[in-house]
Amino acid sequence: MNLFRWFIVRHLRRELLRTIVTVSGVAIGIAVVLAIRLSNASSVRGFEAALESISGQVSLEVFSPGTGVQEDRLSDLQWLSEFGAVSPIIDGDVMVRAAEGNDTAELVRVLGVDILRDRPFRDYRLVDQGSSPFESPPRVTTQTFLTLLTASDSIVVTRAFAGRHGLDVGSDVEMLVGDRRVPLVVRGLLGQDGPGQMSSGNFALMDIAAAQLALNRFGAIDRIDIQLDSDWVIDEAEAAISARLPAGLSVQRPERRSAQVETMLAAFHFNLSALSYIALLVGLFLVYNAVTVSVITRRAEIGMLRAIGTSRGRILSLFLGEALIMVFVGCTLGVPFGQVLARLAVNLTASTVNTFWVAAAATVPELSLTDVGWSLLIGVPLALAGALAPAYEAAKLTPLAAVRGEPDLSIRQRVSRWYVIAPLTLFVVAGVLSRQPPVSGLPIFGLGAALAVVFGAALLVPVVLSQLQQLQRWMPWMQGVEIVIARANLGASIRRLSISVAALVVSLAMMVAIAIMIGSFRETVVYWVEQTLQADLFISGARQSPVGSRDEISRDLEQVVVNFPEVVAVDGFRAVNVSYGESTIIVGSGRFNVLLEHGNLLFKAPRNGREAMAAAIGESAVVVSESFSLRYGVQVGDQISLPTPNGSKLVSVAAVYFDYSSDRGLVVMDEPLFDRYYDDRRPSGLTVYLRDGSDAVSVREGLLSSLAQDSPVFINTNASLRQGVLEVFDSTFAITYALEVIAIFVSMFGVATTLLTLTLERRREIVMLRLAGAERSQLRWMIMAEAGLLGGVSLGLGLIVGMVLSLILIFVINVQSFGWTIQFHFPVLFLVQSSLFILMATAVSGLYPARLAARFTFADLRED
Amino acid sequence: MLRVVAASGRRLACGVLLAMCVLAPVASQVSRDGWMQVQPDRALEFPRDHWSHPDYRIEWWYYTGNLEGERGQRFGYQLTFFRVGIDRVPTNPSVWSVRDLYMAHLAVTDIDGGRHLMSERLNRAGVSWAGARTDRLEVWNEDWRLEGKDGTHVLRAVSGDGAFSVDLVLDATQRPVLHGRDGFSQKGLQAGNASHYYSLTRMETTGEIQLGRDSFTVSGLSWMDHEFGTTFLEPSQQGWDWFSLQLEDGTDFMVYMLRQQDGASDSHSSGTLILPDAQPVILGPTDVVLSPGRTWESSSSGARYPVEWTIQVPDHDLHLEVSAAVDSQELHTEQSTGVTYWEGAVLAEGTRAGQPITGRGFLEMTGYSGRPMSEVLR
Repeated sequence: MNLFRWFIVRHLRRELLRTIVTVSGVAIGIAVVLAIRLSNASSVRGFEAALESISGQVSLEVFSPGTGVQEDRLSDLQWLSEFGAVSPIIDGDVMVRAAEGNDTAELVRVLGVDILRDRPFRDYRLVDQGSSPFESPPRVTTQTFLTLLTASDSIVVTRAFAGRHGLDVGSDVEMLVGDRRVPLVVRGLLGQDGPGQMSSGNFALMDIAAAQLALNRFGAIDRIDIQLDSDWVIDEAEAAISARLPAGLSVQRPERRSAQVETMLAAFHFNLSALSYIALLVGLFLVYNAVTVSVITRRAEIGMLRAIGTSRGRILSLFLGEALIMVFVGCTLGVPFGQVLARLAVNLTASTVNTFWVAAAATVPELSLTDVGWSLLIGVPLALAGALAPAYEAAKLTPLAAVRGEPDLSIRQRVSRWYVIAPLTLFVVAGVLSRQPPVSGLPIFGLGAALAVVFGAALLVPVVLSQLQQLQRWMPWMQGVEIVIARANLGASIRRLSISVAALVVSLAMMVAIAIMIGSFRETVVYWVEQTLQADLFISGARQSPVGSRDEISRDLEQVVVNFPEVVAVDGFRAVNVSYGESTIIVGSGRFNVLLEHGNLLFKAPRNGREAMAAAIGESAVVVSESFSLRYGVQVGDQISLPTPNGSKLVSVAAVYFDYSSDRGLVVMDEPLFDRYYDDRRPSGLTVYLRDGSDAVSVREGLLSSLAQDSPVFINTNASLRQGVLEVFDSTFAITYALEVIAIFVSMFGVATTLLTLTLERRREIVMLRLAGAERSQLRWMIMAEAGLLGGVSLGLGLIVGMVLSLILIFVINVQSFGWTIQFHFPVLFLVQSSLFILMATAVSGLYPARLAARFTFADLRED
Repeated sequence: MLRVVAASGRRLACGVLLAMCVLAPVASQVSRDGWMQVQPDRALEFPRDHWSHPDYRIEWWYYTGNLEGERGQRFGYQLTFFRVGIDRVPTNPSVWSVRDLYMAHLAVTDIDGGRHLMSERLNRAGVSWAGARTDRLEVWNEDWRLEGKDGTHVLRAVSGDGAFSVDLVLDATQRPVLHGRDGFSQKGLQAGNASHYYSLTRMETTGEIQLGRDSFTVSGLSWMDHEFGTTFLEPSQQGWDWFSLQLEDGTDFMVYMLRQQDGASDSHSSGTLILPDAQPVILGPTDVVLSPGRTWESSSSGARYPVEWTIQVPDHDLHLEVSAAVDSQELHTEQSTGVTYWEGAVLAEGTRAGQPITGRGFLEMTGYSGRPMSEVLR
């Protein structure tokens, strides 16, 4: 132990800068992986937590696919009470704000319950005005709740929500539902118990009748909650209820809803995790570098230790111990940093998650010992693996060789033909893997293919470096003596360099691939938006939400729009979420004739998609989105079975169209068919086509002024909606970029430490060069040139590999995860910019080693 | 007049009590508009007036009885359905709008086992989960149901936990006993503070009582009260003690005593004596003497209830010792009304004109626990 302290710890302290670089590299790697893990977990857990606090003691729920449970069916369901307590529920997400002033509305989960029946299910506690927020308020009696809830303008909000909006008991609030404002009065404040503990307090309680009135949902409830009597086993009860339910009604456990959300997000999370591990791999290279440097600089000391009888095993464990220290410190710093990153990531992905329709605020969970343990579990083996090779070399040193300073560590190596065969084999494997189908919706083989390409490219690095000698032949202008020496130096330390360069190549390749993928995706979406968003105005409710919202546009508003002189056609979009397979899809409706005449769907199949769509009018036929078609393997002409409130209905697929608005799968039917299968609810949004030559902006103004002054609708023009779509797009991919930038920075550290290693290793040669008359500045330039060359080689390789990877990302992984067709597009500008940046950055990373080299003196030589 | 008030006061008071307890906090929101006032010239007609009267705000159907199993096992039961109007014409078109609240209490006393079991229901009508029909005698609260069929009343109710149930057929061919003036029962001094009120005091009953895994075929006598109205007397007493007794010679007897807030039991006792094949005899405060005897303390509420009573009706030479069949017949109605009271089967023993006589019945005692009833009712 003493030896360890003297030999390793003291050394780490003396070489503080290098230690810091390595430790931060490890810390960043760990932090990134942890951050993605936490943020992935939090988006699902946010939903789960919300579900749990709302589900309370609910054991099962009876629902009707897509729509609510029609009230006229309820009296036939009285037998449900044989299983336990039964409570009808209205459940919705709506915007709520204070009526006074210019309060900003917030999305609130509203639960409408029959309090007479709901008491056993959920724990509601009302806070006394002015009571301490820390004491738990008493359970509210049924009588108190009746007071609060029997008036149809009553609402109970959480204390947290009230605090944010300056509300108190008796305050007026308004609920924005579709294009309506519903005035309500706060009758009570909920404490932090039961549903009141929902994230950020975005919860409100209403009487079921009042909720139906406010949300305009007469005639149906959203579901029936059941709390089983204690003598029921949940599986048996579920089976028994399921067997007795009439067609069109289903029973499930509330947890299933979060399972569906997890399925929805699985592909997204899987891909993010895969990306994050690249940052960790780069961290591994750093450990390798650090231990290598440590071994090189202390060859003489190792020799001494060996000479005084220290065993090889001891030497090995000393250097492994060094790696362990670094990884421990790295993890310790990385874990809290990971949480900070996770918070950022959650904010970045919030909009993404919302586009996936998980309307729940995600909060990053507090760190636990599990997270620390998990980080160590991942970090320690990687660090040991990284340190093993240099530590082994150190242990192999003979005392004589060490003291003599024989350059064991930089033996010139011939590049064997295996360095060509192995990568080629991997590329073939990648080719095979990329043709395999997904595994339960996850692109496992696709990522395998990407990995094979990455490893193949990494293995190819020595070959490429060995060709540096030939550089002059290709680039005769690279003649400077510094460059020639630099080139030779690089060629001479291929083995050492290969790992660092490979790390940089991998990071760069990933960045290039992702840049190409996102760039292509963005271009595709831009094209799609331009082609398909033909309408001039888009009208949506207060939530301003796309598909899946239950906001409704009133008949009055639609009339106003239809009667507007410039308006030639109006299409309404309605949608319901229904279970399909293990996930949920969106079944929507539009007016096919309006779409055909004025709109412009892009059809994937059949060739004459418009005709097929026209033929679908009046038939039991639908058009489906590409992601639906791919995910469920459905082709034109196939029959699919859609769950509806009246049982499953068979419809045929008339056409497949391109859609990038949701990866969940969309099935769109003509309005009359939707009315027949689901209900004739109002549309959640209107698309408005104007007479040719009309000015959309002035029509929008005209419409807004002819609507009621306080109507909360949003009217987007075509241009503003397009911009909105791209904003959502960009924020969705912001986190992906962020991850890559981090990985590149970490690999920059890698290049810097590699150069440092090389420089230190070649002290002798460098001093000889000085003796031979080299200027300090020449030495500096030599090292800088080496750095630049490294950067150049890495960049070149990274670009090529990146392009190959991007093909896998676009045509394999994306298709398998999300089911989208992306047109390949090369983001030239971005790649040129980042290439220049990387070249410069690698050259700059040579600065410190360069200055170090210039400082070497004859004394260094003598010391050896 | 006062006699009439007192004689019909008990179930009324209990109903009002239940209604007010639930409604007191809601009172400000209860619409008092539109409900019909009871009119003295409205004659009761049957079977029409067995049915529901949704134009009046408060209504209840109240069944109690003493039954016997085939091997002589003794049971008491109580099944009551209440309807209390909240908003006669709700503006919210939702089916869940609360026009009326429906409450129901079920209790069974296993006299031999010394057990008293109770269960309660509180519902809005919603999708016909509770209700009362206006075209026939049918009142229900979830799966609890009262139904008039071929001269009988059929009662079915299972406790919430399934631990006990009643399934009874009551003979309803007896002529209803109309309280007050032909069933118009003036409650207060103000006109309109009144109710329509009648009883079926002696209904031959058969059926089944289930207790846990045991099921008993039972028979015996039940007593039914049906009352409806809109506004009622607001008494200022501590509570009351109320008896309904069916004597073996065919005499039915209802007696009622108010207690003052100072706790002293005064002699303001009243009652109705229904002799076989004769007009009901109204008994005034001076006609009946009620004296409490041994008390029983409830361990859950801490209230002390007199569970043995002496009743004397000197004019009719009637002397009765009444004792609880089981001491602990206290009801806690946390879910519906939040009121704690004692209601249970009693046994009567004594003499009539010197001859020994026995009987069975029900006793209700309120105001022994918590706030005085006058406060609850205010």
